[in-house]
Amino acid sequence: MGNELFKMTVRVFYRKLGRIKYISHLDMVRCISRALKRSGLPVWHTLGFHPHVYLTFALPLALGYESTCESMDFRLTGELPMEEVVERLNAVLPEGVRCYRAAPAGQKPEAIAWADYEITQEFDGMTAEAAAEKFAAWRNRETVPVVKKGKKGERVIDAKPHFSVREERAAGDTLVFTMRAAAGNTLNLNPTLLLDAFAAEEGVRADWMRVVRTAVLDQDGNPFE
Amino acid sequence: MNVRKALERVLLQVQKPARYTGGELGSIVKDPAKVDVRFAFCFPDLYEVGMSHLGMKILYSLMNEREDIWCERVFAPGDDLERLMREHRIPLFGLESLDAVTDFDFIGFTLQYELSFTAILNMLDLAGLPVRSKDRTGLSPLVVAGGPCACNPEPISAFIDLFILGEGEEVNLELIDLYKIAKREGWDKQTFLRRAARIGGIYVPSLYDVSYREDGTIEAVTPREGAPARVLKRIVRDFDGVYYPKDFVVPFTETVHDRAMVEVLRGCIRGCRFCQAGFLYRPLREKRHATLDRQAHDLCDHTGYDEVSLTSLSTSDYSELEPLLNDMLSWTERDAVNIALPSLRVDNFSRELVERIAAVRKSSLTFAPEAGTQRLRDVINKNVSEEEVLRTCRTAFEGGYSNVKLYFMMGLPTETDEDVAGIIRLAQKVVDMFYRLPDRPKGRGVSVTVSVACFVPKPFTPFEFEPQDTREELRRKQRILLDTVKSKKITVKYHDSPTSFLEAVLARGDRRLCPVVEYAWRLGSKLDGWNDFFSMERWEDAAEVCGVDFSFYANRRRSYGEVMPWDHLDYGVTKAYLIREHERALAAQVTPHCRINCSGCGANKLVGGACFGK
Repeated sequence: MGNELFKMTVRVFYRKLGRIKYISHLDMVRCISRALKRSGLPVWHTLGFHPHVYLTFALPLALGYESTCESMDFRLTGELPMEEVVERLNAVLPEGVRCYRAAPAGQKPEAIAWADYEITQEFDGMTAEAAAEKFAAWRNRETVPVVKKGKKGERVIDAKPHFSVREERAAGDTLVFTMRAAAGNTLNLNPTLLLDAFAAEEGVRADWMRVVRTAVLDQDGNPFE
Repeated sequence: MNVRKALERVLLQVQKPARYTGGELGSIVKDPAKVDVRFAFCFPDLYEVGMSHLGMKILYSLMNEREDIWCERVFAPGDDLERLMREHRIPLFGLESLDAVTDFDFIGFTLQYELSFTAILNMLDLAGLPVRSKDRTGLSPLVVAGGPCACNPEPISAFIDLFILGEGEEVNLELIDLYKIAKREGWDKQTFLRRAARIGGIYVPSLYDVSYREDGTIEAVTPREGAPARVLKRIVRDFDGVYYPKDFVVPFTETVHDRAMVEVLRGCIRGCRFCQAGFLYRPLREKRHATLDRQAHDLCDHTGYDEVSLTSLSTSDYSELEPLLNDMLSWTERDAVNIALPSLRVDNFSRELVERIAAVRKSSLTFAPEAGTQRLRDVINKNVSEEEVLRTCRTAFEGGYSNVKLYFMMGLPTETDEDVAGIIRLAQKVVDMFYRLPDRPKGRGVSVTVSVACFVPKPFTPFEFEPQDTREELRRKQRILLDTVKSKKITVKYHDSPTSFLEAVLARGDRRLCPVVEYAWRLGSKLDGWNDFFSMERWEDAAEVCGVDFSFYANRRRSYGEVMPWDHLDYGVTKAYLIREHERALAAQVTPHCRINCSGCGANKLVGGACFGK
């Protein structure tokens, strides 16, 4: 415990799908720490009176969101094949969390600039087409002011340059589209913030919604590695 | 109805949705088409309370070991989700399958405390079932209940089809096997209940008639249709060999006790006269230290917990504690696992033990002298002297602790104002002793927290004959308590008296309380153990409507000859023994613990001989 040296920082990519989307980020951190303990991997612990597993997440996922592109970093005190890291973790993870790749950590989390979200909405009281029309009119205005809560209190920002919508498909009561939104340390725009602002102004609120994060990207639009 | 989808529409509107979605590591998901019996294990309280309960973990794993049974967990929803469930007609569901429990074979409740009774009715109602047993006419779902409060289940006997008395590891499976026959052969519910009543430890309340005298006391309890006159509780004889899970469901969210646990012993040798558990779980049985070391190690490996607790009613009475700690420290130190030792009694808390726990991690220390004067401690048979309390606190202070918490009770039989003031005087002596210590922890002051609960007389204890102090009397004593405090180093916390009063009513209640429980629930009572939900007015209204006088149950002295509502239930300890102990209590005579001298409580008949040696 509390080994002085670590060999490498490893970045593990995983999917978070299904009912585990209701597990908050803080609960996920505890869950993964215990999983690392169960896995028996030679994980580096912090030094100090209460040594604990060193574990960071590049871009925490909002409660209720699913994802096919999450990543977490931890440190190993010994060398072992990356496939083995994936296998040993998958053997001890709960339903809905599956690792698919591990590699020495590449980019710093600060490199993250954008994220893609696939959003599915169901409307009880209107057709998806009508909802899509209203949503398009709302977001295609000159500016799209939204209230963002931060550590320094509330501020109004123009969200327009910070998100875009593509691959919109409306069928019956179901509306599906992909949203690319600013992500990372500088400005993180949660799709729910935009959809809530839209709902509040136009009175169009989905009765059921699914959000899946499908990509985490750097400034140039390349996947975060 | 697709519960999963209906839930998705509302879950993000509630606090801590992770309480309702299951999927935790270690939770068991089976194919419903491939099991014969589906069992909904219901804990009538919130997730974070229920998930801390060891009995549920044991029985959950035990049932799921069998391929033909699928046991799922169910907890009471919080107020926010309950409102949404009712609005959107989402039925109560199992956490593993997210299926409605209405279609399960068994709905089993664990009865941990009396104030959870209304939560049971609320959960049955949320499941879409009639709360009264007689209105559920089909064979399934059968509504069953076990746990400590099953020792007097009369106040909820109209709602539960059958009760399971004592330890569940064997009898639960016997009951399920009988049900499988019933299902195969198409028995009706009455036939099943009549047959189930022949299984040892099964109590079917509808097979007993109760008659009353003019003064309101019970005249007789008469069995019908071949039910036994007395139902004897079940115990596991081979406790060292009894099933124990290798794995726990590991919650995502924080729960009250979120750690690995091993059960070092069952029963208790002490015989503290106020303590129901100390009599209910007799006789004492221990596991071997090698067994416990293996079970603790397995659990930590499988769950990833970094804390393991050695639980029991009195872990310091475990005869192999030293070898067990030696075994465990060999791997816990390496794996950075903390060993937690709850409920250590003051009188054998050695310095060496303090140091060995402290070597792993420091936590706060709590002791329970229970009463403020030696006379009253003798009355309740808490064989702890003032010198021992002070010596223990000194050991703790010298070991680096500066906070101690002392637990007491108020309203104990024979208690005087002098005894109440004695609680604070004892705490003051602890404070004074701290400042006389040459090697006390530097830089910090001492803090003594005095936590005072109101005494509740319980069935199967020598105090089952005793009246509870009235609420006025308890309030008066609370004032004496607060007036006696002269130091800022002492913090007093006391338990609210209305809930203790209701607990006293329900603990020794009879069948005539069933309508009161139902009425209080219909008025909105649920989760009465939580202050935000408790309302004494609702209960008082219910009592008035039903024509019941609560003080008859809480504040009345019973004669030794009175037929108690639970007299037809047999927990091993005999009434003659309880009377003997009650007489000794009034004479302030202590009774030595079971290892020193057998006091003939009667529980040894359950193991078929002497509890120790021979």
